[in-house]
Amino acid sequence: MSREVVFRFDGAPYPGRDGQTIAAALIDHGILSWRRTRVDDQPRGILCGIGVCFDCLITVNGEPNVRACMTGVEDGDDLRSQEGTGYAQ
Amino acid sequence: MNPDVVVIGAGVVGACCARACVEAGLTVVVVDRGAVAGGTTGGGEGNILVSDKEPGPELDLALLSRELWAQMAGSLGDSFELDPKGGLVVATHQHTLDYLLRFADEQRACGVIAEPVAATDLPDHEPRISRDLAGGVLYPQDMQVQPMLAAAHIIEAACATGRTTLMTDCAVTGIDVDASGAVSGVRTAQGVISTRHVINAAGTWGGEIAALAGVELPILPRRGFILVTEPLPPLVRHKVYAADYVANVASDNAGLETSAVIEGTHSGTILIGASRERVGFDKTLDWHVLGRLAKQAIEIFPLLAEVQLLRTYGGFRPYCPDHLPVIGPDPRVPGLLHACGHEGAGVGLGAATGHVIAQWITGASTSIDLAPFSPARFGASHVA
Amino acid sequence: MPSDIVIVGGGVAGIAAAVVAARSGCSVTLLDSGSAVGGQYYRGAKSPESGSGLSYEALRRAFDELVVARGIDRRLDTYVYSLARRDSGFVVRTRGDDRHRGDVDVLESRAVVIATGAFDKQLPFPGWTLPGVMSGGGAQALVKGSDVLPGQRIVVAGTGPFLLAVTYALISAGGNVIAVVEANDPVGLARHAWSVLPAAGKSADLAKFVTALAKKRVPYLRRHRVRRASGTGHLESVTISRVDGDWRGIAGSERIWECDALAIGYGFTAQTDLAGQVGARMRIGSDGGLAVEVDERQRTSVPALMAAGETTGIGGVDLARMEGLIAGVAAVEQCGRQAALSDAAIARGMRDVLKLRRFADALHFAFPVRDGWRDDVDDQTLVCRCEEVSASKVRGAVSDLGARDARSVKLLTRAGMGWCQGRICAPAVDALCRFDSAASLIGGSYRPVAVPVPLGAIAAES
Repeated sequence: MSREVVFRFDGAPYPGRDGQTIAAALIDHGILSWRRTRVDDQPRGILCGIGVCFDCLITVNGEPNVRACMTGVEDGDDLRSQEGTGYAQ
Repeated sequence: MNPDVVVIGAGVVGACCARACVEAGLTVVVVDRGAVAGGTTGGGEGNILVSDKEPGPELDLALLSRELWAQMAGSLGDSFELDPKGGLVVATHQHTLDYLLRFADEQRACGVIAEPVAATDLPDHEPRISRDLAGGVLYPQDMQVQPMLAAAHIIEAACATGRTTLMTDCAVTGIDVDASGAVSGVRTAQGVISTRHVINAAGTWGGEIAALAGVELPILPRRGFILVTEPLPPLVRHKVYAADYVANVASDNAGLETSAVIEGTHSGTILIGASRERVGFDKTLDWHVLGRLAKQAIEIFPLLAEVQLLRTYGGFRPYCPDHLPVIGPDPRVPGLLHACGHEGAGVGLGAATGHVIAQWITGASTSIDLAPFSPARFGASHVA
Repeated sequence: MPSDIVIVGGGVAGIAAAVVAARSGCSVTLLDSGSAVGGQYYRGAKSPESGSGLSYEALRRAFDELVVARGIDRRLDTYVYSLARRDSGFVVRTRGDDRHRGDVDVLESRAVVIATGAFDKQLPFPGWTLPGVMSGGGAQALVKGSDVLPGQRIVVAGTGPFLLAVTYALISAGGNVIAVVEANDPVGLARHAWSVLPAAGKSADLAKFVTALAKKRVPYLRRHRVRRASGTGHLESVTISRVDGDWRGIAGSERIWECDALAIGYGFTAQTDLAGQVGARMRIGSDGGLAVEVDERQRTSVPALMAAGETTGIGGVDLARMEGLIAGVAAVEQCGRQAALSDAAIARGMRDVLKLRRFADALHFAFPVRDGWRDDVDDQTLVCRCEEVSASKVRGAVSDLGARDARSVKLLTRAGMGWCQGRICAPAVDALCRFDSAASLIGGSYRPVAVPVPLGAIAAES
C-alpha cells in the first residue's frame, strides 16, 4: 500500500497517495478541471493523459504550466488552478 | 491568360505589388511555387521599423511605407494584427548609448520621431525591463504586423476585385522575351502566361528568378533564427532591442552575429531574434545560436529566464552586398522589374515597394527616387 | 564521457534494445520521461518474478540486472528536447521533469535508438474539449498508473482493439463502463485479421478482453460513433448514433447517454519528433499516420540512427519488442562490436517483425478511419485546442486565404502553434482541409523543440 500524502488544491486540503499523478489525485476527488483557457475562458482537464497535449496544465507550488498527467503528487504540494496563461497579468 | 502584370512571389512584397497594381487599374496574376507566405515572409517577424534605418534612401522608403501600411490596415479591417506598438532601443553600456543617441539625432533630422529615455525612466515604458541598462531611445513610429496574415489578406482583397488571380504551387520555369529583348511572358508549371511586365518579388530567391530572365542579381541568404516562448500575459509592450542590432544589420560580417530583439505578439507568445549568419540555405538548428539569443534577451528582460521556449524557426533574409533592396525596372530586360532583396525589412518596406513599382509601370512619377535601388548599381552583367 | 548508444524511451522496445546492447559490451544510456521503465503498456510494473527467452518479463529482469552489472545509465523523469547530429555521432539534449525542467544536460553518443512510442489519435467533434473527455490511453494511464478511475459512468469509444484493452483495464479495476462504441464493424475482421491472429499470438489477449466484457455485460456497439459530448463545465452526456460504412451518422438513430467520462481514441499517432529533427525519412503507415522509415535492421535513413516500436508505425507491444531487439543489434554493429544474440535468433526476430507487421496492417485494414466524422465538425468546434482555433477558421484558411498545406494553415490560423505543437490536431487539420496527407503530414511534422525548455537553461549552454 502506498504512502498517503496531503496536498492542497485552491487552498483546500485533500488526501492523495504517493505515486499518483497530480491529475489522478484530483480526478480521484471528482475534480475534472483545473485550468481555464486564455482565449475562450473554457475549462480543461486531461486529454491525452500521457504528456503530449499539455491540456492539463496546473500551477504547482507557484510554478505555472506543469503537466498534471506527468507529475507525481507530493506531500505538501500547493496546487492552484490556472487562468489563461497561468501567469499573473 | 494575358494580364498586365505577373508578380512572382506570394509573400508580403508580392502581395503589396499586386494590390498597388490593381489599385492603379492593372490586371495581375500572382504566381508562387509554394503557398502564400511560404518563403521569406513565413520565416519573418513582421517588422515595420524606422528605428533601425540610418538616414538615406531606405529610411525615406520606410517612412513612406509605414504610412501606407496604416492606410492598408484601415481599409482591410485590421485583418493582419497591425500593432503600432513603437520600438524601444536600449543600450547596455554608456558608450553604446552615446552612439545610439547620436544615431537618433541624425534620424530626427530626417523626420523620425526618436525620444531619448533615461535609464531611470525605462521602466515607465517597459515595467519588466532590466534595471541594469544605460538608457535608450523610444521610436513611436515602429509597428508590427503578422506577416503571413498580411500577405494572405492583401492578396485575398486583390483577388476580390476580380482583377487578380492567385496561382499557388506554380513554379516559374522561364521568362520569355520577344525579338526586342523585352518581356513577353512567364512560363510556369501550369502553362505560359503572356504579359509585358514581370515583377520579381521572390525574396531570397530573387537571384534565381533574375537568372531565368538572363540577368544576374547578387542576392544572398542571411540566416536568422527566432525563438518563440510559451504564451504569456502582455509583459513586453514595445519592440525592444539592443542598440548593437543596428550595427549588426549594417555589418558585412559573414560570421555569426546576434543581438536581442524582443517583442510580444497578439497570441501572447514572445518572439526573440535576431541572429545573422551567411551560411547558404542551411536550415540546421544551431543551439549555440539559440543559447546566445536567449542569454542576450534575458539580459534585457531577466524574467525571461524562467519562461519556456516552445519552438523556434529559421528564415533566410534576402541580402544584397550594399544592404539596399532592389526595386524598379531592370535596364537589361525591358518589362522586368525587381522588388526583392529587402534583407530583414521586406515586410516593413513592402507597402512602399508595391506603391512605387505600380507608379513606375503606369508611367506616374514615383514618390521616391528609385535610382539608389536600381539593379543597374551592380553593373550590367548578363548571365552567360 | 560519451556513451556508445543512447536509447530514447524505456518502453518495451527501448528495454529490448538496451539489453542487447549492454550484453554486447556497449555502454548504454537509456532515457525515459516516466518515473519508471515499462512504457505505456507495462507501465512501471515491478521487475517480474519469472520469464524466459526473449519475453518482456525476461528482458525486464535482464535490464534491471544490467543496470547494476554493466552500468546501464538509466535516467528516468528525463525528456529529450533536441537530437542533433555531430561528426559521426549525435548530441542529445535533455531536461528534467516538469518540477525540474531547468535541469538540462547534453549527452553525446555514437549511435541512437529512438523508441518513443505513440499516443492516441484524436478526431475533433462537438464537445470534445469538455473535462471528462479523454483519450483511451489517458484513461488507461489513470487506472494502471495511479489506480484511479476516470469517472463513475464511463463510455469507451473510437475504433480498434485498443478500446477493448482500455475497457478491460477499467472494469478490472471495478470501473462502470456503460458501453464500448466502435465505429467500424469488426465482423469484417474475420476475413483479415482473425486469420493472422494465431500466428501473431494475439488471440489469447483478445479472448481475455472479450470474456471480461461479456461477464460484466458491457454492451459492445459496432458501427456506432459518439457524435457529441455535452455538459456544463464538464461532461454530463454523450450523443451516440449508428453510422454507415463511411462513418456518417444515420438520422433518427441518435441516443443520449448520461456519463461523466468518455475514453476515446481513433488509433494512434507515432511519436516521430526526434527522428524529424535529424531529417530521418518518414513514411505513411498502413493506418494513414506518419512513421519513421526503417530497413529490415531497424536502421533509419540517417546513419547510426535506429528506430523501434510504435515510432516506426503502429503495431503493438510484441512487434515493438522484436523491433527493439533488432535495433539493439544494429546499434551494437554500428559501434563495431559483435551482437550478443545468435544469428539464428536475429533471423527469427526479423521474421517475427515481418509477421507482426502483416498482422498490424491487417488490423489497420479492419479498423480504418473513415471520412464521415468530418461532417460532425461544425464551424464552432475547436480543431486546435491549444490556440483555440475553430473549424471555420481552419477551413477558411483554405477557401479564402490560399492555404495549401498544413504549414500554411498553421501560419495563417495558429492551428498547431500552441503548447502541443500540433501533435494532437495535425491529422485532423489535414483531413478537414483534404490535403494530400503524405507531403502535408511530413511537412507539418518538423518540431525543433520536442518539449518546452526554459530560456535560462538554454542560455547557460551558450
